[in-house]
Amino acid sequence: MKFSLNWIKKYVDLPSNLTPEKLSYDLTMTTVEVEEAYDLGASLQGLFVGEILSIDAHPNADKLRICSVNCGKDEPLSIVCGGINLVVGHKVVVAVPGSMVKWHGEGEPVEIKPAKLRGVMSYGMICASNEIGLAELFPAEHAEILDISAFNCKPGDKLADVLNLNDIILDIDNKSMTNRPDLWGHYGMARELAAIYGSYLKPITLAKHPTDLPCLPVDIQNSDLCPRYMGVVWSSVKTVTSPFELQSLLWRVGQRPINLTVDLTNYVMFATGQPTHAFDKSHIKDGIVVRSAYNNEKLELLDGSQLDLSVDDLVIADHEKPVALAGVMGGKHDSILTDTNEIILEIANFNALSIRRTSKRYDTRTEAATRYEKSIDPQRVDLAFTVSCEMFATYFPEAQMTAFNDVYAKPLANSTVDVTLDFLCKRLGRNVTKNEVTEKLNLLGFETKAENNTLHITAPSWRSTGDISLPDDILEEVARLMGYENFDFVAPTIKITNAINQPKYNLERGIREYLAFRCNAQEIFTYPWINDEFIRMAEIPEEDMLRLSTPPSPEEAHLRSSLIPGMISSVVSNLRYYTDFRIFELTPVFFNRNFASVSDEVEKLPEMARHLAFAFVGSNARQLFREAKGVLEQMHRATQMESLAFAQINKPSWADEAMWLNINAGKEVIGSFALMSVKVSKACGIKRSLVVLCELDVEKLTPLASRTNTFEHLPLYPTSDFDLSIVFDENVKWEDIKKQIERVEMVKDAAFIDEYRSDKVGNNKKSVTFRVWIASDKGTLTGEQIELAQKQVSKKIEKKFGGYVRI
Amino acid sequence: MPEHTTVNEIISRLETIKEEAIKNIENAKNSEALQLVRSTILGKKGRLTEILKTLGSLSPDMRKDIGMASNKIKLFLQEICDKKSDELVSKAKAYDGEVDITVPGILPFVGGLHPITQMCYDLNDAFRSLGFEIYSEPEITSEKYAFDNLNFAPEHPARESMDTYWIEGHETGNGSERLCMRPHLTGGSVRYLKEHGAPARFVYPGRVYRNETTDARHERAFFQYEALIVDKDFSFSSGMILIKTILEKVFGREIKVRMRTGFFPFVEPGFEIDMECQVCGGKGCRVCKHVGWIEVMPGGTPHPNVLKAAGLDPSIWSGFYINIGLDRLVMMRYGVDDVRLFHSADLRFLQQFK
Repeated sequence: MKFSLNWIKKYVDLPSNLTPEKLSYDLTMTTVEVEEAYDLGASLQGLFVGEILSIDAHPNADKLRICSVNCGKDEPLSIVCGGINLVVGHKVVVAVPGSMVKWHGEGEPVEIKPAKLRGVMSYGMICASNEIGLAELFPAEHAEILDISAFNCKPGDKLADVLNLNDIILDIDNKSMTNRPDLWGHYGMARELAAIYGSYLKPITLAKHPTDLPCLPVDIQNSDLCPRYMGVVWSSVKTVTSPFELQSLLWRVGQRPINLTVDLTNYVMFATGQPTHAFDKSHIKDGIVVRSAYNNEKLELLDGSQLDLSVDDLVIADHEKPVALAGVMGGKHDSILTDTNEIILEIANFNALSIRRTSKRYDTRTEAATRYEKSIDPQRVDLAFTVSCEMFATYFPEAQMTAFNDVYAKPLANSTVDVTLDFLCKRLGRNVTKNEVTEKLNLLGFETKAENNTLHITAPSWRSTGDISLPDDILEEVARLMGYENFDFVAPTIKITNAINQPKYNLERGIREYLAFRCNAQEIFTYPWINDEFIRMAEIPEEDMLRLSTPPSPEEAHLRSSLIPGMISSVVSNLRYYTDFRIFELTPVFFNRNFASVSDEVEKLPEMARHLAFAFVGSNARQLFREAKGVLEQMHRATQMESLAFAQINKPSWADEAMWLNINAGKEVIGSFALMSVKVSKACGIKRSLVVLCELDVEKLTPLASRTNTFEHLPLYPTSDFDLSIVFDENVKWEDIKKQIERVEMVKDAAFIDEYRSDKVGNNKKSVTFRVWIASDKGTLTGEQIELAQKQVSKKIEKKFGGYVRI
Repeated sequence: MPEHTTVNEIISRLETIKEEAIKNIENAKNSEALQLVRSTILGKKGRLTEILKTLGSLSPDMRKDIGMASNKIKLFLQEICDKKSDELVSKAKAYDGEVDITVPGILPFVGGLHPITQMCYDLNDAFRSLGFEIYSEPEITSEKYAFDNLNFAPEHPARESMDTYWIEGHETGNGSERLCMRPHLTGGSVRYLKEHGAPARFVYPGRVYRNETTDARHERAFFQYEALIVDKDFSFSSGMILIKTILEKVFGREIKVRMRTGFFPFVEPGFEIDMECQVCGGKGCRVCKHVGWIEVMPGGTPHPNVLKAAGLDPSIWSGFYINIGLDRLVMMRYGVDDVRLFHSADLRFLQQFK
């Protein structure tokens, strides 16, 4: 919301040395965020009153004129101008060289310089209203210059002085004042500033309600939705343009001037924060009814929108029809019209929730609704009534109040809070006295009564609509007025009881760091909503998935139950730039099943689990698969968890026919890794590259309490090794070969090196190369002993598997 | 050696050998060449050795003179040989080829953590050093935990589907029945406190979700970092410890901060926390819109209603929250100008943060 500092100063005597910068700073620190303090006068710098002395034709242009303009200097200025309404003797706005204007009201401001226009020198510019930012105040046709002859001014006067626009506009962040309905008018802001600076706030003596006037019938059907309705009938008003000073004031705070009656209602709102509305009295049949709308009742609003109302809407009606959407906007046919001469001025209080819902339902955000939905105290009706009486007396001296009614069905009690001094001292982190607290609170309009160490506090009505209800609220009021900058940092005191040990967190972090730093994989993040296309490709069952009710896009409604679709999509996008890479993601997945309590018995949340997925991309399937397996085999050591086992139990939908394994923790299958199937590769357009994918449920991993591997003694005597290549049938598995080798005496270890297939090796055969380490704990092995061991190994294997040594 | 050779003749031959040897030793280009020189003079069949071998056939007088002279030469040559050898070793090249030392190094092939994870772990380490636990709340939560417990007004706009992602089939009903992707982390604080009670010190970083239109500054899924400390009679002026911990970890030095009035439903009093603009040092510039301060995080004392929801008595317990956007911190740290890159999975982007 925009505030005029001049308007605020009507109500409060601010310190004389207070700069706009300091005021913005203090207000920002203490109350609300000032986004900008804008110097209106400065924006009109370099603009002066000029009187047109003569107008001559331009030798080279039909649409241009050469004006001689008296700008208060010794010599008149010669200015080339294309304005269509130039008249000798008129007073106009002249931008002198050095000032900034918006050329034809468009684009960024440019600096005026003496320049030749079609061959004729021009020493300034005669301005149109949109070229100096005053288009809303002085609406004009195209190419019409601004004529200010009507103002009391002489050539050379500064425009800002003539129009009385030397003002500072404070632009306050609306979000920062949502909890302060009292600040949505200039008087409320003045009251806050008076509290901040301890300045004098000019009191407004509330006008007495008339007692001798006829009663305007007002029927409130639901006082919860409308606690108070005041109707004031003013006769002998006219729909005329407002005087410039009133227009100017409204324009400064962002309100377009309309006509005097409407401008007065807006003035009251911007002064007090209390919205008001005026109806044409001649359109109101038999008085005001505040009621819920009927279903399918129709109402056309001032902005032209046609509403089909429902019983959820509160309307202002007469005894025939609705005339306004209560608290939001007036109806088009019964508000102020050009021939209106008698009005009903509505000053009412409505339920904040009801207004918010209605305004949202019709997407109609008005100044009135914005204020009502913050929750306004009904007492403010009296303030608004007082200001409106003053304004009508000033601007409509011939108008007369001819009827009145004030139905105050549901008064609001002021909030009361009891606070102990002890509470305040502890929570403020410093000592405060009863007097200090009382003084600050009194500045804000709170009443305090001390009893021993307890303060009985009564909040003013304008802070009693929800903003103040707890001791903590009082604490904030005291602290912010004392100034948050005046509180020193107090180091918290804590009890050290035990060290933090979080094995689950450590495991998850360990896995991430293991994959990133030891396994060369890059961590990625993808969205939890996954594209249907990739769900179908990976053949993940959709019935297990939750869906968003308003998804980012129709094909992204499913929440992932697997990280594989996201992995595939990330592989595809990175294949545009890379051929060999490794990526991983560790994040929750969601299932539409097993709803269960997490934090309380009532709340049931769906099954969620943190999953790990990775993709290794390259060109050698066997290599990629073995690398993936190696990463999983080593993971338990690097991250300190129970080790994993591998077996083919359930083939994942996206896996190759042969190259896949399930990952087991104990007996349970907790994931899989596999070469991506040809079908999936084809579906997602991967042509040359091969991808090994892995996904496993991290929640099923068991972190170890500590490191569990034990030390092995170093061999007493040197270890020898030898390599063997042995041809086996295809169905012989390495795991079984290794078991046999290790049964041979003195064999300490055996390792797979490579396997090889060719015509020479034979159909359905493979040659397996492996290395065997042998040692004795009795002494260094001799050549004969080594040879013997070698023979024993091949013999054992030949006997078991029928393999033979390849030469 | 012939009978008629005199002592002088022999000595002069020794001198010649010596002179030649000195020259050859001096000229030796490397250890191998020097070794050759050494063996041709001092070796078993070396020239000097040959002469020494004839000593036995000489008269005792001659033997004495020539013996002394040749020994002296031998020692002398040995000495300069050793000296030359040391000299050659200390000048020797281990690699005897040409090398362009500006050719780049061979980098270790490593992956990396996402920059958000890196920042998160940096902050976790800092808070763990202060004895904070690390907690995470389920990413799907209920209206009760996302809003009701946190003192959000019943009609707060954040509850609308325009702002929050509700789960299909669970978007209606009362607070516990309405399920959504968590719109912020704060709901997790009540879960933790219900489970662990007070006093408590914990951080709960994570990803949150808002139904938004995305652009370079706005995302539907983004990361936050929240910390909460709850203790008896905890003053808001002690809350600064949380702010300092974060900012000093991120920037590596003390950062000037200020707390000013701010309104958030779950805190009372609530604060907007500003840090001194690091671009202009507080003098005012375009980045800080000429005020010298940049808004970095909200914070405040848990609202009594929040503590009550967590089963704590607000007349005994108080504390301090802070919440900071991790995406924005990472963007500030590296100058990243598009928040959407964090979810792009684009290795060209991610591999810059190894």
